[in-house]
Amino acid sequence: MTPSKASEVAFVEARQREWGELDDTIRAAGKRRGKGLPPAALSRFSPLYRDVCADLSRAQAAGFSGTLIDYLQGLTASAHALLYADAGGDGGRVRSAGAAIRAAIEAFPRAVRRHKVAMAVAFVLFFMPFVGGLLGALASHTFAARVVPEAQLRPMVEAYAHGFGTDRGAGADAEMAGYYVDNNVGIALRCFATGIALGLGSAFYLVENGLITGAIVGYVTAHGAGGNILTFIVGHSSLELGAIVLAGGAGLSLGWSIVSPGARTRLESLQANARDVSTVVFGAAAMLVVAAAVEGFWSASDLPAAVKRVVGGLLFLVVVAYLTLAGRDRARDGAPWT
Amino acid sequence: MATSAPLDTDVAIETAEHIVFRYRVAGPARRLLAYALDLVFCYGAFAIVAELLVAVSLGAERAAGVAEQVSAASVGIVLVMLFAAQWVYFAAFEGWRGRTPGKAVFGLAVVSTTGRPVGPRAAVLRNVLRAADALPLAYTAGLASVAALLSMTMTKRFQRLGDLVAGTMVVVPDRALPMAPVVLWPPAQPGEAEALPEEVRLDAEERQAIEMFLRRRARLGRARELELAAMIAPMLGARFGSRAVSDDPARALALYYHRDAGGEARQDARNPGPAADRTAT
Repeated sequence: MTPSKASEVAFVEARQREWGELDDTIRAAGKRRGKGLPPAALSRFSPLYRDVCADLSRAQAAGFSGTLIDYLQGLTASAHALLYADAGGDGGRVRSAGAAIRAAIEAFPRAVRRHKVAMAVAFVLFFMPFVGGLLGALASHTFAARVVPEAQLRPMVEAYAHGFGTDRGAGADAEMAGYYVDNNVGIALRCFATGIALGLGSAFYLVENGLITGAIVGYVTAHGAGGNILTFIVGHSSLELGAIVLAGGAGLSLGWSIVSPGARTRLESLQANARDVSTVVFGAAAMLVVAAAVEGFWSASDLPAAVKRVVGGLLFLVVVAYLTLAGRDRARDGAPWT
Repeated sequence: MATSAPLDTDVAIETAEHIVFRYRVAGPARRLLAYALDLVFCYGAFAIVAELLVAVSLGAERAAGVAEQVSAASVGIVLVMLFAAQWVYFAAFEGWRGRTPGKAVFGLAVVSTTGRPVGPRAAVLRNVLRAADALPLAYTAGLASVAALLSMTMTKRFQRLGDLVAGTMVVVPDRALPMAPVVLWPPAQPGEAEALPEEVRLDAEERQAIEMFLRRRARLGRARELELAAMIAPMLGARFGSRAVSDDPARALALYYHRDAGGEARQDARNPGPAADRTAT
């Protein structure tokens, strides 16, 4: 069929007003973002969108000019983006903030338990080198220096031997908390992300961090400050090391989803698993922010060692109980959180 | 139009309404520029706040005793900001608006591969994966990201690893504006009108190709314009069995196009628009 230009002109003239209306609505929504459309525009939006879809089909079928089709495609695409915006690809439902927070608090341990094999492997990959580094540094004075530069080790021994002075104020606490956020959360996220290399990146970071942490603790202990370093790390280590292990486990799971995709294609398997396991990563990042605050303001404080050790021990139990028990009563461990 | 896959970087999206529309996928060069600009914004803001903190610390030095504490706390704030610049900036902007400021400047937006707006979770995922995209030179702020470039060249939507994992792509969501019809200028001269065949029949693709050409000819440069027009004007002339309507093949195409549109050619000739047929896109 040869398109008639006259019919195209008539088509544009007949439909132009509604296209303009839809265009105005989309632009208005862009400006009112978050507040939604006024009711009148909202009720008009859906019919306008359906009509422009039909117009696009008709223009394509009739072979109207490329510029008209481009215009209609752009309009359809923008309207489509607006119409489906609230789904956000996440199936987002309207919930109160409290309910959303509650759901997130329960979703994290559930997601951890869904990936418990990967988490267990990550645990081993971190703590085997940790124990190795610890024992190695205790047994040999030169071992730790091979893992960590000696220039970094010596100040630590001095710091821990010195104990918890009163000369460090709130400012220095904030400085260290900032450092822990930047450094530790960064490590955890990197540990997760590099898991896409079939899990190898995560495995590398887990082993590396386990070995270094173990060697440092061993070295400081071998130099006679073992009591102090235990007192220091007992408060935040369950959160901090736990979060690194969980992030690494999430990375391993990411890699494994490519290696063993099951009935899906590798890409589909990767995407589905990434969506699921990202809950673990968000949770681990939150744990590390809390850990940074504890490490900066609590662990370095001059409270009695006994208090710190008891509280640290209790916190460890809380973390373990949270990850293994929270959200269990709903019997929804198997259902992915959306 | 084309039912077979076109030779360009468009991605077709089919909606629930069975409408197919196309997104133009953004290439690595444009994305790299947007990324570099984002780094400028991000670390520029970071530098300004850091400068302010230095100023505050210096001011506190004059006040008694607290200088050390203030400057130490400032370092803490700077470190948290550094973390935000590295890990939060991109995810927050993309989750919130679907584009970072740098992407907005270069007309880019992140959407899911199904054409929907990117959700907060996907926004965070694709940006956390920057750490993997930056491999193997992980600490160069990602500008030398070999993994990302490899991934982008190997996927048809130019997806880096983060895009693959989060199911997203970066597109150029250009909104075409309704355009004025192409106008014949100057109007057909008596000699030209005589030479034109009574009936000119162009099929849809020919019409579109000629229309695109007419809209773009002003930006082509004269030599290229003639070269392109000379490829099809004689062919069409032979098909219509007419003698040469004009020495200028581009002019001939304009005449055919308007004759095909029926009576409108004459109508346009009476009311030439201000921009005439130099109406560019």
